[in-house]
Amino acid sequence: MMNHAARRSTLSLALTNEKPSAVSISNVDVRFGSGSGVVQALSDISVDIAQGALITMIGPSGCGKSTLLRAVADLVPLSGGDITVLGKTPEEARRRRTFSFVFQDATLLPWRSAIDNVRLPLEVGGGSHHQDDAQALLELVGLKGRENALPGELSGGMRQRVSIARALITRPEILLMDEPFGALDEITRDKLNEELLRIWKETGTTIMFVTHSIPEAVFLGQQVLVMSAHPGRVKELVTVDLPFPRHLAVRDTMEFVNISARLRRLLEEC
Amino acid sequence: MSQASAAPLSIGEQRVEAILDAAWSWLPPLLAAIGLVALWQGIIWAFQVPSYIAPEPLAVVQAFRENAWLLWVNFLPTFVEAMLGFLLGNVIAIFLAIWFVHNSMAERAFYPIAVFIKTIPILAVAPILVLIFGNGYAPKIIIAALICFFPTLVNMVRGLKAVSPATLELMRILSASDVEIFRKVRIQSSLPFLFAALKIASSSCVIGAMVGEWVGSNFGLGALIIETTLNYRSPLLYAVVFTSAGLAVALFAIVSVAERRLINWKTPEVH
Repeated sequence: MMNHAARRSTLSLALTNEKPSAVSISNVDVRFGSGSGVVQALSDISVDIAQGALITMIGPSGCGKSTLLRAVADLVPLSGGDITVLGKTPEEARRRRTFSFVFQDATLLPWRSAIDNVRLPLEVGGGSHHQDDAQALLELVGLKGRENALPGELSGGMRQRVSIARALITRPEILLMDEPFGALDEITRDKLNEELLRIWKETGTTIMFVTHSIPEAVFLGQQVLVMSAHPGRVKELVTVDLPFPRHLAVRDTMEFVNISARLRRLLEEC
Repeated sequence: MSQASAAPLSIGEQRVEAILDAAWSWLPPLLAAIGLVALWQGIIWAFQVPSYIAPEPLAVVQAFRENAWLLWVNFLPTFVEAMLGFLLGNVIAIFLAIWFVHNSMAERAFYPIAVFIKTIPILAVAPILVLIFGNGYAPKIIIAALICFFPTLVNMVRGLKAVSPATLELMRILSASDVEIFRKVRIQSSLPFLFAALKIASSSCVIGAMVGEWVGSNFGLGALIIETTLNYRSPLLYAVVFTSAGLAVALFAIVSVAERRLINWKTPEVH
């Protein structure tokens, strides 16, 4: 699991100390539809995400936070501007398996056991050269002993854990997560938030995390990208100055409450 | 099984429990069937119904015994026609569905024709096919195939397309090819839809074969129905009816067992 952190440090040495950004988004426009029915989903978005960063994205519905994530993942074509993922176009990055995507729904194949779902990326798209870490990854996400369970036999939280393990099996440099815990109950969500931070620390992966929950955005993010709607724009990039490792109790601190309050005010202005 | 047993049951006790469970689930339908047969017998006794109008159950049982050989030699051709028609109609439907899903032009061109074929009453097609293919097996197999074809085509197309947009996006992010998506996702998601259609086909293929025999044949259960009706051999007619129903039930059971073997996951609702 750990060796891509090492790989990255040699890469940054070669580039004279200056770490290239993991994801570089400049002046991105996305429009849907054509003629008079055209919808401007994203307008002139520019953000740079450093390697190893954990950035959360929040905004009212229609602000295009998911669209931005999907543009990085080569699921949505750009109408203007430029995105590079570790210096490559999103399409190249997708083919090289530079990133993985975690959906709101676990999107497991119901006929495959947990471990076979984790292995899916190794069986398609020329992924067979990756090492089969499925067993270790299921342990990492806390599903040891449930390897052979079918998705129908797992709870919503467990299914999402399987989908995170599946995202990690290709050892991605970047994890793109689109409201992955949005459909879970609060207790499960809290638990998975803590575990995501642990996984982030253990793997050194860059994470872009879309959410509609202010506490989640503050708890997870080193930075919170606040977006406004119609059209989707960057409202502000808020730095969360809370030390890591964070535990759920951090949410009772004054700093946490202050940042949450600030985000809430920003969102009210959107 | 549901009792909170203090001590674990021995294997022998478990087997007894399993048998009792099975008996408990079979008992109500069995009793209901016996009751209906008794009612049938009772009505015929009470109203003195002549045998050529409606035979009593005992006469039907006797017809089975006396005409076992006749029923068997007429059962075989119907069985063969129904089976071959089932295979032919479903295989063609499955391959057409695969083609349609990967080629929308083909779907747009041929789907309306498939619907048109479906709207022609099978009883109207049967004489045409008999005229073309004669009195042998061929027209019956084709009619049986035709009757199976359409439900399977429709369901298979729906099943192959019943892949959630999120799953397709996942496969895109994994840079999976169309062939990989087909092999890893589409086939499996189509199975519940396919089996829903195969269950329909398992009984309708028998109907198709018998309609074919009805129109022009001197063998098979369909032909035997015509003959026994015209000669007022009602007990034997009823025996033929039960035999053909038994064939359809057997085919349905085979399809159901295959379904349970192949589909071990919980399926979303299939209509």
